[in-house]
Amino acid sequence: MVKAEGVHKRFGNIEVLKGISLDVRRGEVVCLLGASGSGKSTFLRCINHLEKIDAGRLTVDGELVGYRQVGNRLHELHDRDICRHRAEVGMVFQRFNLFAHMTALQNIIEAPVHVLGQPRAQALQRAHELLARVGLADRGNAYPNQLSGGQQQRIAIARALAMSPKLMLFDEPTSALDPELVGEVLEVMKSLARDGMTMVVVTHEMGFAREVADRVVMMHEGRIIESAPPEQFFTHPQHERTRQFLSKIL
Amino acid sequence: MRPDDIKAIPARHPGRWIAAAAVFVLILAMAYSFTTNPRFEWSVVGEYFFSARVLRGLWLTLELTVISMLIGVALGVLLAVMRLSLNPLVSGASRFYIWLFRGTPVLVQILFWFNITALYPNIGFGSWSFDANNLITPFIAAILALGLNEGAYMAEIVRAGILSVDEGQSEAGAALGMSRLQIMRRVVLPQAMRVIVPPTGNETISMLKTTSLVSVIAVSDLLYSVQLIYAVNYRTIPLLLVASIWYLLVTTVLSIGQFYIERHFGRSATRNASLTPLQQLRAALARRGAAQ
Repeated sequence: MVKAEGVHKRFGNIEVLKGISLDVRRGEVVCLLGASGSGKSTFLRCINHLEKIDAGRLTVDGELVGYRQVGNRLHELHDRDICRHRAEVGMVFQRFNLFAHMTALQNIIEAPVHVLGQPRAQALQRAHELLARVGLADRGNAYPNQLSGGQQQRIAIARALAMSPKLMLFDEPTSALDPELVGEVLEVMKSLARDGMTMVVVTHEMGFAREVADRVVMMHEGRIIESAPPEQFFTHPQHERTRQFLSKIL
Repeated sequence: MRPDDIKAIPARHPGRWIAAAAVFVLILAMAYSFTTNPRFEWSVVGEYFFSARVLRGLWLTLELTVISMLIGVALGVLLAVMRLSLNPLVSGASRFYIWLFRGTPVLVQILFWFNITALYPNIGFGSWSFDANNLITPFIAAILALGLNEGAYMAEIVRAGILSVDEGQSEAGAALGMSRLQIMRRVVLPQAMRVIVPPTGNETISMLKTTSLVSVIAVSDLLYSVQLIYAVNYRTIPLLLVASIWYLLVTTVLSIGQFYIERHFGRSATRNASLTPLQQLRAALARRGAAQ
């Protein structure tokens, strides 16, 4: 579903990604771990072209991200095509980023109606189903600031799901939450994983990674230093840096 | 057992009482002067307050205010979006416009547009052309001057509003596949309104009064209308009072409108919207009722 080959990304003179190669199969759940500054969020943002990559190849579902290949040359995609690509990839942010001037329901139907052109009634019906799915059937008319962090994040997940994405990206979805609210968001993510959604999750929740991930990937200073099934990753980490990281976190 | 409510002796504030007394005496003195000085000629004020010429002038002032503000707001949004454009020529053009129109007095701009026919006697392309003298009436010159000038100020207000919206909002829109235009129109601008509306209210009130400058190009707005009257009957002070009271009345109405508009746009930002005066009154009465 996602195929990265030698992906590089620079911010000014600082090289943030130094050659990331990663394959995520359809239906797979991959957790990205690593200290802050290791490039895991940047890589996630590259996948739906919120950041542009400087070198390498990155494809989602067989399509190049941000470019079109004609012969040997790459052509930058037009804004319209980038939007179409992004519409197929759901993203959940650390700080929720719900549209503050819209109710939960309005947040969920915004893109289906205005990007996909769905009829409003159909979008609303689906929105109600999604609200029920994330356990907030009764909060559809609440504004984001009337909801707790955990509720906001669950609405944000519902908003991303409303676009029926092929792939969901989670950028530290529980890091901005009070500890007792983390569980409700992870529960929703687990149920998504059970339903076969392809997910790339940047997280510090080791419990979630261990229980749900098919593969855990450790990033360090812009490189992937270890990639293994959770069982092996947590019990027999190969890399010295991974052992240090785990000893601090667990 | 719940202990009894505290019944304490209130602290004394003699300073407040002295200040209140001083203010009260001043108000009395002013009221006495206003009512007893015959040169205010309140009867003349009453006579002209609803006269047809004054009301026509008032109507024109309102027209000028509304049309100029509409032009100003539309232009301001356009210029603000241009200013934030990644294309340096586009943002530079916006910068230049703002520099030019904020850097010259609006009175000069009014005179300039009034005399534009000296610069461009004909307006149009090739064979399709107008005599500028017919096109640029004093009213049109006034609208152009006030509206284009206002656009420069509104641009800065709108830009501040756009920048006040958290970047995560645009990012969330982008991640959902919304186009840049959709993000601006459906996500950023509605939220920017909370920052844009209060200064725009001030601009509108300020515009109401700035329109009085058009009296220099003989547009018979409220001020020019009373000037025409007192040029004949020499009742200068009472007629200026007529104009002032009308300006005050309209400003008051605009302020009340602003309160409700702000409340509307603030609704998602504060959990509890501020109470309207009527609601405040009801709440106060309810409290009093409960206390007794």
